[in-house]
Amino acid sequence: MKVLRKLSAISMLVLLTSVALGQTLSIWSGFPEMEAFYQRVADDFTTDNPDVNIEILTQPLRDYERRITVALPSNSAADILEISSSFAARLVQGGLMPPLTEDLQTFVRGDAFNDFFVENASFDGDVYGVPLFRGQGALFYNIEMFEEAGLDGPPQTMAEYLDYAQTLTARDDSGDPTRSGWSLRLTGGGSGVAEKFWTILHQFEGSLVEQTDDGSWVAGYNNEAGAEALRYYVDLVNKLDTVNPELRGDAEGFQLGTTAMFIRESWVIGDIASKTPDLPYATALLPRGTIAIPVNLYVTNDNPLAYEFIEYALKPEHQLWLVENVGWLPNRQDIDYTPVVESIPQLEAFLNIPEDHVLFTVPPISAIDEVQTRFAERLVAAYINADLVDNPEGIQAFLAEAAEETNQILSRAGLQ
Amino acid sequence: MFRWSISRRRWLFAYATLAPVVAIYLYIRILPIGQTFLMSFRNWDLISVNKPFIGFENYLELLRDVTFLRSLRNTTVIAFGIVFLSVPLSLLVAVLLATPRKLNPFYETAYFLPVVTSMVPATLAWKWILDANEGPMNQFVGWFGVEPQAWLINPRLALFSVILLSSWKILGYNMIIFLVGIRNIPQDLYAAATIDGAGSWQRFRYVTLPLLRPILLFVSVITVIQSYNVYTQVYVLASDAQGAPGYVVRVLVYDIIENGFRFFRMGYASAEAMMLLVIVMTLTLIQFVTLRDRA
Repeated sequence: MKVLRKLSAISMLVLLTSVALGQTLSIWSGFPEMEAFYQRVADDFTTDNPDVNIEILTQPLRDYERRITVALPSNSAADILEISSSFAARLVQGGLMPPLTEDLQTFVRGDAFNDFFVENASFDGDVYGVPLFRGQGALFYNIEMFEEAGLDGPPQTMAEYLDYAQTLTARDDSGDPTRSGWSLRLTGGGSGVAEKFWTILHQFEGSLVEQTDDGSWVAGYNNEAGAEALRYYVDLVNKLDTVNPELRGDAEGFQLGTTAMFIRESWVIGDIASKTPDLPYATALLPRGTIAIPVNLYVTNDNPLAYEFIEYALKPEHQLWLVENVGWLPNRQDIDYTPVVESIPQLEAFLNIPEDHVLFTVPPISAIDEVQTRFAERLVAAYINADLVDNPEGIQAFLAEAAEETNQILSRAGLQ
Repeated sequence: MFRWSISRRRWLFAYATLAPVVAIYLYIRILPIGQTFLMSFRNWDLISVNKPFIGFENYLELLRDVTFLRSLRNTTVIAFGIVFLSVPLSLLVAVLLATPRKLNPFYETAYFLPVVTSMVPATLAWKWILDANEGPMNQFVGWFGVEPQAWLINPRLALFSVILLSSWKILGYNMIIFLVGIRNIPQDLYAAATIDGAGSWQRFRYVTLPLLRPILLFVSVITVIQSYNVYTQVYVLASDAQGAPGYVVRVLVYDIIENGFRFFRMGYASAEAMMLLVIVMTLTLIQFVTLRDRA
C-alpha cells in the first residue's frame, strides 16, 4: 500500500511538472536580425497559449544551412525552419520535410500571395513552405554625396552607372581612391559574389543558369551579356580604379561614408535605422530589374503548434512590423503597405514595383548553390586580374572555362 | 590444478585494464575512419536514400578538381610554412630560456600564453592587427618604408598571415617541449665539451641538437599534423560578411566541410578526407624514417 502511495505521488509530481513546463515549440532562422520578429510573434502567441515555451535560435546563414543539413536527417531540427526556397528545394526533394496541412496549403494558394511565391514554395503539386519574406535588391545612394558631385538623381542606365561611379569616387593626393563611387561585391566566399554578379548580368539580359526547352539546365553567362557584366567589374577595379577590395564597401561602407552607392536588399534600411539613423540616403530601382529571393517557413514534423505559430506570424500587424523594423519585405500582397512607405520612403523602390520591372530568382534546383559558389570563386580572382582589361579574348576564355565547370556540376546533378 | 604464473596474470591484468580504452578508441577513432573510407567509394548524398557504389570516381574527380588542388596547395604551403617558421623559432627561444635567469618564468608564461588563448578570440585580434585600413601591422611595416598591404585580401599575403598567426599560436607549446628536452641533457656533456674548447655554438651544434633529435621529431610531426588540419584561423581570419572564407585561403578542411555539409556530397568529401589522411600519414612516416634513424 505504501509503495502504491509512493508511486501515485511520483506520478502526480511528473504530471504537475509536465503541465508546469508546458509544450515547447522551436524556431530556427539563418538571419540573426529576424530574432526580434520571431520574439514579437512569440509574445503574441504565448499570450493566447501561456503553456507553450518558444525557443528561437538564429545564427549566420552559412552556419545555419550546415546545421539544418545535419539536423534534418537525424530528426533533431527545430519544429519550424526558415529557409530560402532555393536551398529548401533539395531538402524537400529528399523527403526531409512534409507538405503543409491542407488548410494552410489552401491559404497559401489563395489571394494572399503572388503565384511567384507559391510556385517557389511548392514541389510536385504540394505546397511545402509558407512564404514569409523576400530578399530583393535595389540601389542605395548617399544624397549628400550625389549633390556634392552635381548629380541630381540616381543613374538610370548601366552606362550612367559607369559614369556615376567615376564622378563619385573620392581620391587622396596620390590619386588612390578613399571612397568608392560604386561599391561592388568583390570578395568573400559562398554564393553571394555570384548572386551580386547575377544582378548586374540581369541588367544586360543575361542569367547565370538557363532552362532549355527540353527542361535541362545550362550555364547562361558564356555570351555577350556575361562579357559585358564581367567587363564592368574588371574596368571599375583595374582600369578606372573606382573601387577595390581593400575599401570598406557594402552596407558597412555605406554607413561609414566610404562608398557613395551600392546595390543591396531591403534589410539595409533596418540596419541603417539602427546604426546610422541620420544618414541622408535614398533608394532607386535598377535599370532593368532585380533579384527576389523568397524565404519561407517550413514545418519539420506534425506539431500542430507549429502551424498555429505560422498563422500568427502571417498576421498583418506582424508583417507590417517586419518591414518597418527589420527591413525584410513581407510576401503577403493582401496587406496595404502605403502607411509604411509613407513613413519610410526608401521602401518605395522595394514595395512599389512597376509592371515592366523584371524580377528574377535563384531557381530551386539542387545544384544551384554549388554552381554559384564555384563560379564565385572564379569571379573573385577575375575581378582583380588586370590582364583582363581591354582583353575581350581573355574575358571570353574565362567565361568559357567557368561555364564548362558550371555545366559539369549541372550534369553531375542530373539536370542536363 | 592449473595455476597462472604471476607474469601471465600481470599480462592479463594489463590487457584487461587496457581493453576498455582500446575499445573506445576503436569505436570513436578507427571505426569512423573505416566508414569514411567506404563512403569515399559511393555517391553518398547526405539527404538522398540511394547511395550507389561508384568505385574510384570520387578520387579521379579530385585529381581534376581545381578547387581541391588549390586547397591542397594552400594547405601544404601553410603547413610547411608553420613548421619552418615555428620550429626553429621555438628552439631558439627554448635555448635562450634554458639558462637559469631571474625573468625566465615571466618569459615562459608570456610565450605560452597564446597556446592557452582560444583560437577564435586570438584570430579576431589578429584580424584587427592585419586590417588593411586600420591595422597596426601596416603602421609597423611603414616604419621600414613598406607601403600599406592588403594582408587578408592579397592571396599570397593572406597565406603568409595564416602562417604568421599559426606560428605565433603554436610557438609556446613547441618551446616548452624543447625546454624540457634541453633541461634533461646531462650537464656533464656540456662541461666536457667546454673543457675540449667548444664555444656556445659548438655546444649547441654537437651536444644539444643531436640529443634533441627525438624531441625535434615529435615537435615536427605534431606541428605538421596540426597544420594540415588548419581551419579555424582561416575561417575567422578570411571570413567575409557571410561568414565564409573566399578563395584566397581555401584550405582542405574547409573544402571537405563545404562539399559535405553545403553541397551534401559526403562521398566526395570522404575521398578528400582520405587524401588528407594519406598525406599526413606519409609525411609522418617520412619524418620518422629520416629523423629516427639519426636520433
